[in-house]
Amino acid sequence: MQGRGRYLASKVGWALVTLFVVITFNFFLFRILPGDPARTLIRDPRVNPAAREALTRRFGLDKPVLLNFQGGNPFDSQYFAYLGALSRGDLGQSFAKRDQTVADLIGRALGNTLLLILPAQVLSIIIGIVLGLVAAWRRGTSIDGAALIFSLFMWSLPTFFLGILLLFAGAQWFELPTAGRVTIGASYGSLWDEVYDIGRHLLLPTVTFTLVLLGEYMLIMRSSVIDVLSEDYILTAKAKGLTTFHIIRDHAVKNAMLPMVTLIALNLGFTVSGAIQVESVFSYPGLGYLTVNAVGTRDFPVLQGAFLLLAICVVIANLAAELVYGWIDPRVTEA
Amino acid sequence: MTALVEINAPASAPTVAPRRPFVALLRRPMGAIGVGMLLIALAVAILAPFIAPYDPYANVRVTIFDIYQAPSGAHLLGTDDRGKDVFSALLYGTRVSLLVGFSAALIALVIGGLVGIVAGYRGGRIGAGLMRITDFFLVIPDLALQIVIVAIAGQSLVNIIIVIGALGWTTTARVVRSQTLSVRERKFVLRAKAIGAGDIHILRRHILPQVLPLMLAIMVLVISLAILAESTLAFLGLGDPTLTSWGQMLNFAFTRGAVSAGAWWALIPPGFAIVWVVLGTTLLGTALEEALNPRLKRHHLERDRSGSRPVPELDGAGSLVLPPPRPANAPLLSVRDLVVEFDSPSGPLRAVDGVSFDMRRGETIGLVGESGSGKTTTVLAMLRLLPPGGRVVSGQVMFDGEDLMGLDARKLRAVRWSRLAIVFQGAMNALNPVRTVGDQVAEAIRTHEPSAGRRAAITRAEELLERVGIPRQRARDYPHTYSGGMRQRAMIALALACSPDIVVADEPTTALDVMIQAQILELLAGLSSELGMATIMVTHDLGVVGQRCDRVLVMYGGIIAEEAEAFRLYAHPQHPYTQQLLASFPDLSHPERKLAGIAGIPPRLDDMPPGCPFAPRCPHVFDRCRVERPPAYDLSHGRRAACFLVEPGHERRPASAGGAADA
Amino acid sequence: MPDTMPVLRVEGLEKRFPGHRSLLDVLQRRAARDVRAVDGLSFEVMPGEVLALVGESGCGKTTTGNLLLGLMPSSAGRVTVDGHEVGSLSHRELLRLRRTVQMIFQDPYESLNPRMQVAEIVAEPLRVHGEAGTPQETKERVLNALVQAGMTPPEAYLHRLPFELSGGQRQRVAIAAALALRPRLLVADEPVSMLDVSIRAEILNLLRALADEHGIAVLMITHDLSTVAAYADRIAVMYLGRIVEIGDARTVLGNPQHPYTRALRSVVPVPDPSARRRPVILSGETPDPSRIPSGCRFHPRCPVAFARCPTVDPPLYDLGSGHLAACLLVEDAAQAEAVAPAAPAVPAATERTAEAPPAG
Repeated sequence: MQGRGRYLASKVGWALVTLFVVITFNFFLFRILPGDPARTLIRDPRVNPAAREALTRRFGLDKPVLLNFQGGNPFDSQYFAYLGALSRGDLGQSFAKRDQTVADLIGRALGNTLLLILPAQVLSIIIGIVLGLVAAWRRGTSIDGAALIFSLFMWSLPTFFLGILLLFAGAQWFELPTAGRVTIGASYGSLWDEVYDIGRHLLLPTVTFTLVLLGEYMLIMRSSVIDVLSEDYILTAKAKGLTTFHIIRDHAVKNAMLPMVTLIALNLGFTVSGAIQVESVFSYPGLGYLTVNAVGTRDFPVLQGAFLLLAICVVIANLAAELVYGWIDPRVTEA
Repeated sequence: MTALVEINAPASAPTVAPRRPFVALLRRPMGAIGVGMLLIALAVAILAPFIAPYDPYANVRVTIFDIYQAPSGAHLLGTDDRGKDVFSALLYGTRVSLLVGFSAALIALVIGGLVGIVAGYRGGRIGAGLMRITDFFLVIPDLALQIVIVAIAGQSLVNIIIVIGALGWTTTARVVRSQTLSVRERKFVLRAKAIGAGDIHILRRHILPQVLPLMLAIMVLVISLAILAESTLAFLGLGDPTLTSWGQMLNFAFTRGAVSAGAWWALIPPGFAIVWVVLGTTLLGTALEEALNPRLKRHHLERDRSGSRPVPELDGAGSLVLPPPRPANAPLLSVRDLVVEFDSPSGPLRAVDGVSFDMRRGETIGLVGESGSGKTTTVLAMLRLLPPGGRVVSGQVMFDGEDLMGLDARKLRAVRWSRLAIVFQGAMNALNPVRTVGDQVAEAIRTHEPSAGRRAAITRAEELLERVGIPRQRARDYPHTYSGGMRQRAMIALALACSPDIVVADEPTTALDVMIQAQILELLAGLSSELGMATIMVTHDLGVVGQRCDRVLVMYGGIIAEEAEAFRLYAHPQHPYTQQLLASFPDLSHPERKLAGIAGIPPRLDDMPPGCPFAPRCPHVFDRCRVERPPAYDLSHGRRAACFLVEPGHERRPASAGGAADA
Repeated sequence: MPDTMPVLRVEGLEKRFPGHRSLLDVLQRRAARDVRAVDGLSFEVMPGEVLALVGESGCGKTTTGNLLLGLMPSSAGRVTVDGHEVGSLSHRELLRLRRTVQMIFQDPYESLNPRMQVAEIVAEPLRVHGEAGTPQETKERVLNALVQAGMTPPEAYLHRLPFELSGGQRQRVAIAAALALRPRLLVADEPVSMLDVSIRAEILNLLRALADEHGIAVLMITHDLSTVAAYADRIAVMYLGRIVEIGDARTVLGNPQHPYTRALRSVVPVPDPSARRRPVILSGETPDPSRIPSGCRFHPRCPVAFARCPTVDPPLYDLGSGHLAACLLVEDAAQAEAVAPAAPAVPAATERTAEAPPAG
């Protein structure tokens, strides 16, 4: 078990390092690029002196960027002010919605996004695994061919366009709501009614998202299962007199899951970009929608906060995938 | 930053590189369709100004009635939210998509290829550092980052290309690195180093030629990613506002009421235009990758297309009648005229061509042959375990009164392992890496004795492992923690799990050290005599069978060249192949004797001589050998040899005479 | 002079691979366990001599080959090739040295670049060392090398790709490429173990002929005592990074002195069923080279070990006429030998008159 502990420690350690790099990257991203938002705002003649003063203090714009060499505390700089604020959970004030903090805004949006992403991920993983398994087992048959064409087509379909198609169809034929999380102005008689309303709103985005993720999961599972089924230990299992069902259940699935887990980890960035598109199409108030809106209103504190949160989510999910991998494959934790 | 490309990154380098990959590419339907789709898109992009009925960039005054006009003769695909012709905009949009796709992919390829090759070839700290950077970019959600950068830096076409290209390199870098790493580890690179070649030479002559084709395939897939990314940014309102692109058309239509206006023509065509180009590149990329790195292998669970075949030699009624009562001294296993063929592009190849032999209870026989002689195929065919593409064409395998070739699946499974078990060669791959060794032994027990409880099966597995010299507590370990010798011991324990009547040991000691070889052979011999099991030793090593076997079958080119009791075979080999094979073996009792060897090379399955398979290498060959296949002649003491020289009535001639007859 | 000077002299060669030390080990101040792959190796190879380096996997024989080729740096010891000490050479000199030492690898299926034609493969060493000359000269040297390696007619093979050749033919191409630079020493790492039995002889005969006819020294690294028996002049048996017995091939095989050599010899399968002998099967496996046993490194597996073995690390005792063995049991015999002025350990091969390097 020592090997397992070491593996765990190294993965958690690496995730922490990545987290720190992400935070730092996020700081400099908004300082380096031409059109640095904070400075642009300060130079804007329409901003009144009092507000300018407040902004300067808030971002510490009169201080050096990284380290303070002008005597005194070397950590008295913009970067460390940012780290300090971050450690207090202070991501600043929204430009567009003056009365709201960024933390509140993105916190609420994160919950909505998870409500969308998690069921879609789970659904697409399960369906993708099953279809991939069948396609691989029946390799070269028409089932396999159909599955292959389906996944290549899904891969080529831009997420937002699939969303538009489903939105069109859903609104036209099924009278499903096409925007938002709840019906605006609705009042609910019971909790069940509210859940039902949210569910109806989530239906189209979830279907879109599931379809988008499904094709690729299926492709990977298919090729992974084919690889595993060509291994010598499958021949051993067959020679042992196991039925096809048992061979697949006891010898193929777990082994074939290894590349799947890696893929799911690699794919998290893709998941986020899918969420941004789906939320934009369905005006669903999640992190992605918030991000795109923040661009439109030039609400940089929100943009910065949302980007940071998205990146952190990916780091955490990535770590989870690595841990699952270590749990499935005995080879990585020992040796 | 998606993993579709990652799918096809070969874990190990391809072994067969096609001579003309582009011909192979166009032969694949996917490749041909992909190329066709892209050529059409390219033609449209070039010819847009000539074929478009309107110029989307021209300033035209429109009225409210021009907006969202349904398709008509004047506007093939109707008009958009600004009253402009959708069809013309669609044609012009091709230019933006392809331009962004190709330029961004080029940037990604240059950065990613460079990083990948350096990281893969240098290894060490530089390589690890570069990979850490790649890993970092992997956790950054790329669309979010693209949005942020374009929002801050400005929405120009150049910015968009740079951003997509500069963020799309990670996939390329990962694939190129893993390919470079695997090429670098190959022996021909080590050989080049041993020659004294420098890094530049090795990279240029050995690494790049292996990596570049793959990079081409990746680039095609990265193009599709870039086109998707561009259209997504444009759809989110972050495209270059001065250009007409598909994403932007969708953005304007979607945000300006096309849905509520029911103006499907403003939405559907640009969407499917994107699908067209991306699907074309994806098909091309996938086909390219497959052409470069063909996966010839088929897996073990593919349908046996020949099915369980009724034995053709029997009369229609014969198969229904109960087999005649077996005489007491009938052999346990009786193989008759077994013929096995493998599919190949050039037609079926015959790997086993009429093999027959008998085996009694408790007997140990050796099946000896060089690579390609058909010895392993014979054994796998007996249990109908041939790899896909292989099938038993004819013949019988009578085991304890039943023909294994005609059994239904359930009965066949009952025979497998519980009555006839196999010790596979290369135990590393024959054991499942993610299950413990004890668990895999217990599984065999429980499959054939469903009544045995889980606990009891594990206990028996531990006893078996102990019996082959593996400490009981190691049963809970995974195969990779075992040494090569221990794995082979575990494989033996697995084979003994159901106390089978026959154990087949297929090259049980190949790739093991001589001392471990001796240990394994001793163990196997001890256990089989102790348990009264019949054993078939499949090997290329005449030394091994000489000491351990009662009877020896020598195989060559898919036939049994000679069969005899071991001591008779060694004392008086009858077939010229056996004679020469014996002379090829070192014998430490005569250390000074140089090995003789056999001139020529073993026959290839796709180039079998029409007559005796050994004729091209035989020193005693004469005309008849080249045209007619010698049958197996029965000799005294139950011996057999498939050679015209032993034909009754054939005048025994010395080697020189045989040579003369040849001329 | 060149005939009496060894082509290769190895003295006290060592290779340690630093053991893995985790963060935990560092915190607990545990020293890393170095893997002592090669642990004090000394031998010589004379021109025209075939020396077989025999041992099981993990004995360090392949590492030795890589060290001799300069493919990895050694940790200690001296390697002298043709009078030049390898360790002291500059990078440039090292590259030149590689011409005199060429290697033949075990796996002819993997060691040839699948995309290069035979002509390119054989010409590659010439190009690398800037000896290619005009295309005509190159072609001539390539043809010559192919003929020397027994590929006749050579023209028929020039434009073949490796996959079109049989295993034996591929190994011949590898040998031809090694011969193109007219080396003085060939290091052959298991040159026939991947080949079918019936074609092993031709490759071994070829290597023997290169030594006999062209005076090339051959170091044959192998696990198989029986295969080299008829082809080697001398045999050196390695165990855990060190030579435990070395001497004339017939002496080592006919009268092995070290218990390990005896065991190795006894387990070689004998084809003749009538000649059943009782093999000495050692129990267990070769220990991990990061945990070399104390005293005589062979003692935990030795069937005849006695009290002193775990404490005394035996040196190579000279048993006369170049036969040496590292076992306390032969200590007395060696001392008896030492009383009489022992003839200098001249390898048998020096009696063979080696010819000058092949004329080209």
